[in-house]
Amino acid sequence: MGRGATDRRVAGATILLCAIVYAYTYTFDEVPAALMGGLGAELFPRLVLWTLAILAVLLALHVGSPPMDAPAPIPRPVWIAGGAMLLYVGVLELIGMWPASAVALVGLGWLWGERSLVKLSISAVMLTGALNLVFVRLLGGSFPKGLLGALVGP
Amino acid sequence: MDAFLAGMAILLDPYMLGVILAGTLLGIIVGALPGISGSTTTALLLPLTVTMTPGAALAFLGSIYCAANFGGSITAILINTPGDPSASATAFDGYPMAKRGEAGKALGISAISSAIGGIFSVFVLIVAAPLLARMAYEFGPPEYFGLAVFGLSMVAMIGGESQVKNLMSACLGVLLATVGLDLTTGVERFTFGVYSLSDGIEFVPVLIGLFAIAEMLEQATQHGVVQDYIRLTAVKLPTLADFRKCAKSIAISSGIGTFIGALPALGATTAAMICYNESKRWSKYKDEFGKGAIEGVAGPEAANNAAVGGAMVPTLALGIPGSTTTAIILAGLIVQGVRPGPHLFTEQPALLYIVFSSMLAANLLYLVLGLGAAKLFARLTLVPAAYLWPAVFVLSMVGAYAPNQSMSDIWTVLIFGVVGFLFRRYGFSPAPLIMGLVLGKMVEESLKQSLLIFDQNWLMFLTRPIVVGLFAVTLIGLFAPFLARAWTRTRKRWRTSPAGDLP
Repeated sequence: MGRGATDRRVAGATILLCAIVYAYTYTFDEVPAALMGGLGAELFPRLVLWTLAILAVLLALHVGSPPMDAPAPIPRPVWIAGGAMLLYVGVLELIGMWPASAVALVGLGWLWGERSLVKLSISAVMLTGALNLVFVRLLGGSFPKGLLGALVGP
Repeated sequence: MDAFLAGMAILLDPYMLGVILAGTLLGIIVGALPGISGSTTTALLLPLTVTMTPGAALAFLGSIYCAANFGGSITAILINTPGDPSASATAFDGYPMAKRGEAGKALGISAISSAIGGIFSVFVLIVAAPLLARMAYEFGPPEYFGLAVFGLSMVAMIGGESQVKNLMSACLGVLLATVGLDLTTGVERFTFGVYSLSDGIEFVPVLIGLFAIAEMLEQATQHGVVQDYIRLTAVKLPTLADFRKCAKSIAISSGIGTFIGALPALGATTAAMICYNESKRWSKYKDEFGKGAIEGVAGPEAANNAAVGGAMVPTLALGIPGSTTTAIILAGLIVQGVRPGPHLFTEQPALLYIVFSSMLAANLLYLVLGLGAAKLFARLTLVPAAYLWPAVFVLSMVGAYAPNQSMSDIWTVLIFGVVGFLFRRYGFSPAPLIMGLVLGKMVEESLKQSLLIFDQNWLMFLTRPIVVGLFAVTLIGLFAPFLARAWTRTRKRWRTSPAGDLP
């Protein structure tokens, strides 16, 4: 891919996004002119979208920014870490925040290269315990218990 | 005076002192963790302030802000990886000093010069912020609109590779600020039927996603990179001769750092870089720079901590953030129901003096802690990535969920984590987006109010001298780099052309 093609693609995606969001502003509820208060609800977002689109054109033309080289492909560990984060939300819904957090600490630690499950488990229990102490005992927060937590606990 | 004394009296309140101590300790600890910047530290710890009183929250955030900058220098000196971008210049000479066995001395001068720069800037803040606020007290909506536009235009100078990308990022932030109920008309905008979006996008999960989760994903790309770590045997206090050698550098950097910090959007990193060069320019030992010059540590450290107080001047007096971290602090204040600006000085002066006194105390505390427990803090740089980043992830999730106890905040963190990662990948800085998000409401509201005052006549903005001045500065700021480049090209052409062609 030629130098600067990345900027053109980013600019194209931005303009497309602007067009979609701009079209969406037509779905806003209509308000009588007397209640507009200077600007209608849709006018300011449209103004911002126009500015964003003009800036995207400037980016495509490389005005005020040097052309950018295409970034290297996203490395595998990033995809795995991203997937693990999504998995965390699923596990959280199932077993609750604290057990899910302990599992995440062990799982992500393993992905990051630590192979001692004992060390990972001890640190996971200690950290989730400390966070529970601060956020639940001290700050009085309430966290999701998950489907299983709701079945077994009060 | 009563408010000043009331503010200072918090230093006698054990609870507030505890909050300041906790903020300072957490600021140093998280700031010293490799890869976690001051802004990430503040974003990560922001949820802890939600249950605090506004005064305690301000004291906590102010202490974190001061201490995280110092914490960042520990990793810069010991592993050549600045814990905070503002400590990048510290690594130039701090790491070479550490390599030749003077890590303790480098950390010692870093603590002392940071504290001097920080305390100096707090005194400037105490004097300058009320003056600026008094000046701004007469501002109406058009002036605020001009000011907010100026603040947003200044974000073009923050981070990232290009002005255009920074401005695009800021526009996206402003657009995100329009999500939710339009207060004037009661129309719902971009809520897509999601009830929790009616109040707008929550700041805390956006900040955590953009800074902490994006950084975590970024670190995943560095998987397997081994850092060179230097053990710290002892922290030696710099000698009187060392201090005398650095005095000029500390004095110059404290002044310049405070001034640069006070300019909207120009923060500690710019201050540290400029002051590194200034320290070199004024030094008698120029050839030592880059090879382990103690002045090369003292100058940037005094500057980046002086910028902290400087950055708080426009943040508190005008409600315009002076840096990325102050934008996060501003978001924290808005969450607390406090809107910084000139009215704060007349309506809640005690709150402001709490900021001043807590920042003063934090600077003194990290000096004591930095000198006394640097060896302990230095061990933080040894925390393996396999434990650090999963912990950051879990803390992010718990911290994002805690304030509103809503699953949608968890999703917001993840979405903005990906946005932040893609931003960095394509050369965009997340800082302007935060500025836009924080200032967006102010821009829209002041524009709407102005148009009501002006009876929809946009040209009436030009009848207000301050607005015209602010627009002029904005335009100059935006176009100056292009004009400078055009001027340089023209001069080059003149030089290369035959003498007869010269005008």
